Amino acid sequence: MRISLERRGSVKSWHLIGVPLLSVIFGILVGGLFLEATGHNAVLVFQTMSQTSYTTLYGIGDTLAAATPLIFTALAALVAFRVNLYSIGAEGQLFVGGIFASGVGIAVGTSSSALAIPAVLIAGIVGGMVWMTLPALFRAWFGTSEIITTLMFNFVALFLMRYLIYGASTYWRDPTSTNFPQGKKLDQNAWLPRFGTQSIHWGLVLALVATIGIWFLLRKTRFGYQMKVLGDAPNAARYSGVPVKRMTFTVLIISGGLAGLAGASEVAGRAHALDPNGLAIGLGYAGIIVATLARLNPFGALIIAIGFGGLQNSASALQSLGTESVPSAIATTLQGLILLLALAGELFVRYRLKVSKRVEVSA
Amino acid sequence: MTQESVLILTLAGAIGTGTPLVFAAIGGVISERAGIINLGMEGMMLIGAVTTFLVDNKTGSPLLGFIAGGIAGALLALIHATLAISLRANQIVCGLALTIFGTGLASFIGKPIEGANLEKSFNKLKIPFLSDIPAIGPVLFKQDVLVYFSWFVALLASLYLNRTRTGLSLRAVGENPATADAMGLSVVRMRYAHVIVGGLLAGFGGSYVILRIVPAWSQAGTTNGIGWIALALVVFASWRPLRVIAGAYLFGVALQANFALQAKGITVIPAEFLAMLPYLLTVVILVVLTANRRTRGAGAPAALGLPFVRDER
Repeated sequence: MRISLERRGSVKSWHLIGVPLLSVIFGILVGGLFLEATGHNAVLVFQTMSQTSYTTLYGIGDTLAAATPLIFTALAALVAFRVNLYSIGAEGQLFVGGIFASGVGIAVGTSSSALAIPAVLIAGIVGGMVWMTLPALFRAWFGTSEIITTLMFNFVALFLMRYLIYGASTYWRDPTSTNFPQGKKLDQNAWLPRFGTQSIHWGLVLALVATIGIWFLLRKTRFGYQMKVLGDAPNAARYSGVPVKRMTFTVLIISGGLAGLAGASEVAGRAHALDPNGLAIGLGYAGIIVATLARLNPFGALIIAIGFGGLQNSASALQSLGTESVPSAIATTLQGLILLLALAGELFVRYRLKVSKRVEVSA
Repeated sequence: MTQESVLILTLAGAIGTGTPLVFAAIGGVISERAGIINLGMEGMMLIGAVTTFLVDNKTGSPLLGFIAGGIAGALLALIHATLAISLRANQIVCGLALTIFGTGLASFIGKPIEGANLEKSFNKLKIPFLSDIPAIGPVLFKQDVLVYFSWFVALLASLYLNRTRTGLSLRAVGENPATADAMGLSVVRMRYAHVIVGGLLAGFGGSYVILRIVPAWSQAGTTNGIGWIALALVVFASWRPLRVIAGAYLFGVALQANFALQAKGITVIPAEFLAMLPYLLTVVILVVLTANRRTRGAGAPAALGLPFVRDER
């Protein structure tokens, strides 16, 4: 008997939902076994996770707030990945977006909200774009691997952000915080208003708008069509006159802007200051996971980002769980596990297993 | 013993700081020469580090710890190989997922030992005669046995890639898997083997960090992004094992100079800016290599990152 793989003629639609769903279920099962094996009560852990994140009003609020930046970074990843540009720079672009947004926020905070809020958001977008400019230029014109350059720039941005708060008494640092340096608070006029529970802010609405906007760009515009051609058949795109270099550059810059907006939304909606520890929690990398699980679909990314936001949100509640403390790292472990399973499952969306009998040849 | 100058101490320290990079980046070279890019290296190093810590403290044998760390890295690499080779997953996403998974798992396993100290480690091993050479002696030949082992690994990798038949086959697999397949080589088997060896070496790198650099487990600070630097170093060294050593020690000097200056209270250049240097240097080198028509793609395996499927070309 011989097992081989055969490419499916067409992708079945239920597979698109079924495979991610199954990987989540398997992820939870394997994670549960792992928890039990390490002496924790898996049922209690998952119960706590669902209570803190998915089944109570405040939990859902916190989950949506945690999902907001993930939606932006997932969109950032998916526009680039769609044209086979594997930018992993959302992390750094988010930091620089946060730096620009807080800088502008501190400067214009005292003017009216109608002026201050758009200024802060635009600053964030510009920051993300600025940080992507060099990797995008290098990629488009020299063919320099965007994977390495964007990754390296993440670390440069991280150290830059740390310097602005911890390294010296800069414009971004609160001058009254000497022992434990903190970012200077933005004036209230520059804050994104909150609504619903105490944690949801207008960044979520922006994220919804951005999701629809990216969907529109991909599906309804000439640019989106050219992206599709470039992504599916680069040579065909080249011969049919798609300006490949310019497209490459533009797509990456859009990706950078989205990641920068994530930083601005976190600064103006959550921390109200440049907070290096709060920003550097792997939102950019998690965005790539969300985008992949969503098979690069904007609305799929929205839903999965909310699911992942809940995972992140529940982590802290686990640490203070009754008599036993479960390391918050279980949330990260689960995220990684679910993605690994989804990647494995992806094969079955594209291929089918074929079992064929082989004629035994006697030796 | 004569008074050793600060310079010599810094250089000797730089060798130590560079050693995990030597292990991990040579692992990266071997895996990438087979055509598989491994972004999971950071996760493999962390898993290697935590395993080494646990085994060493349990058995009291740093050697067993070191070996166990390598095996742990190799096991994680086996997942990468299965997904990237057999299941044809996107290697970049898959590697990232492994880093996230590995980081999470390492801090989960390491939670009960957070902040605990490593009890036994390797001591420095003076090489007779060689360590008496002025300047070079104390820098190169008063290191621990793992440093000497890392040189051996680099030399072995270099000889393997350039001087053996299997090494030649490996390069064929990374450059043009279809041709390699037609030549009768098993692309799948070759790729599996080399990705796993790559993971073993990344695990060793993580082990070295815990054994010789930060002998206490801390979930956040143990490898501190060294796995990512190692990935950059592969490119920096244009996929050549001996160049990895030079690059690793150069990065080691940059990292070590940072500590030395901070300790002396010299703040002409802020520590954060010095810390950026290895990353910026990598970008510069990569851009110079790719911008120059002659060196474009120098050393980069042509089929890097592409899955190989025999009947789908």
